[in-house]
Amino acid sequence: MTIKKDEAPMIEIRNLHKKFGETEVIKGIDLSIRQGEVVVILGPSGSGKSTVLRCINRLEELTSGSITVDGYDLYDAQTDINYVRSEAGMVFQQFNLFPHLSVLQNVTIGLTKVRRKSKAEAEGIALKLLEKVGLPDKANSYPDQLSGGQKQRVAIARSLAMSPKVILFDEPTSALDPELVGEVLDVMKKLATEGMTMVVVTHEMGFAREVADRVIFIDQGVIQEEGDPASFFTNPSNPRLKDFLGKVVSH
Amino acid sequence: MAFQFKSDVMWETLPLLTHGIELTIYLTVAGLLFGFIIGVTSGLARISRNPVLRSVSLVYIEIIRGTPMVVQALFLYFGVPLAAGVRISPITAGVITIAVNSGAYIAEIVRGAIESIDPGQAEAGRSIGLTRMQTMIHIIWPQAFKRMIPPLGNQFIISLKDTSLLTVIGVAELTRQGQEIVAVNFRSFEVYLTIACVYLCMTLSIAKVLRMYERKLSSRSSR
Ligand SMILES: Nc1ncnc2c1ncn2[C@@H]1O[C@H](COP(=O)(O)OP(=O)(O)OP(=O)(O)O)[C@@H](O)[C@H]1O
Ligand SMILES: [Mg+2]
Repeated sequence: MTIKKDEAPMIEIRNLHKKFGETEVIKGIDLSIRQGEVVVILGPSGSGKSTVLRCINRLEELTSGSITVDGYDLYDAQTDINYVRSEAGMVFQQFNLFPHLSVLQNVTIGLTKVRRKSKAEAEGIALKLLEKVGLPDKANSYPDQLSGGQKQRVAIARSLAMSPKVILFDEPTSALDPELVGEVLDVMKKLATEGMTMVVVTHEMGFAREVADRVIFIDQGVIQEEGDPASFFTNPSNPRLKDFLGKVVSH
Repeated sequence: MAFQFKSDVMWETLPLLTHGIELTIYLTVAGLLFGFIIGVTSGLARISRNPVLRSVSLVYIEIIRGTPMVVQALFLYFGVPLAAGVRISPITAGVITIAVNSGAYIAEIVRGAIESIDPGQAEAGRSIGLTRMQTMIHIIWPQAFKRMIPPLGNQFIISLKDTSLLTVIGVAELTRQGQEIVAVNFRSFEVYLTIACVYLCMTLSIAKVLRMYERKLSSRSSR
């Protein structure tokens, strides 16, 4: 089954540069992501993958270049950054659930405080989303009562609650015990088949091969290689990518 | 003449201290109430993005922490009214002293607790579109507040004991009243022992109440 993909770019990154103090971490990245596209970003540790994602959500300020999300220029003074953020969900490696709120409240807080929905309406939406991520019976639990995989699925439900145009995943399964990785990837696959635009930083090559429309290899602050998963994995030409894939596959 | 401990003096002293006890409680409660407001405000100012707010609160905190409270009380009671051309009562000056003094320490407690919250919490809040303010109110503050309770309790106890320093500006609180009783009956051992017991009862009560409150808070969320 193929999903028809709109050609208007959902995310448009032009000549992105990012410095932390004197060190330039991102050295000119151009990336255009269509609606409904699933892009997997690979790269060695410290190559700047998280930084790119965080710039897309403006959790990090870029040094130069431009980023538009759904047509909104993130750095235009006219843009309501809180609104744009709510349209671009983020799923973190460490889940970052709100420990003082129940699972249900974790999912409803954005709906009531940002989307201004009534409590009843928000809870209705939240319960449906918890069902979607396979946790309908955990609504009244607290995060510290959940396994890592369950926490990450709640975190996904929390960002889905905002009906985001795109979800950014920063190593969503890296903090999980191996046996819990599958349940999170399954939820992500489901989102992908439903046409969600997704940018995923991951080391899960199986997911990249199976789900990604495009795979991007970032190293030393630039995109070294980019392509559809089939060609990307079967005959990598870039020596750095070859080296990287060799290391990842062997472990 | 050998010293003889008379426990009945203690029982006779106690009722004479009611006024002083009431005043000590009043100074502590009123002072800490304003102190908490000042403390939260300057604690938040200390971590604000506005550099002016940051430095103003830092200067305030450093001045208070770097000078003795007795000097602060003398300055506020004798110095400031002279310069401003107004008169204030010793009790008012006492409340202001406790407020301004505890405010600086509470500011550091507030700042410390907020900074101890994982930055990922704020990022998660911001990434679902909450404003800075909403993130603070709904995400950071409730978690930070829980961590503030033990050090706040500590500060409450310190401030309660510090009210005794207000004798220097003539506030007739517990310690001052004790001194006056001793001036009449010369039973300093029994009178000051009684006063020490009263302070101890009050500080232990604060500790107890805060422990109960802390338990109540932690049972309400994340069982
Ligand atoms: N806030 C910061 N201050 C200074 N340097 C930073 C900061 N955040 C990231 N860096 C540096 O920028 C570089 C890229 O970091 P980034 O987190 O984007 O890498 P990454 O590809 O996500 O790595 P990993 O796979 O380990 O998560 C690293 O060298 C890191 O040390
Ligand atoms: Mg990273």
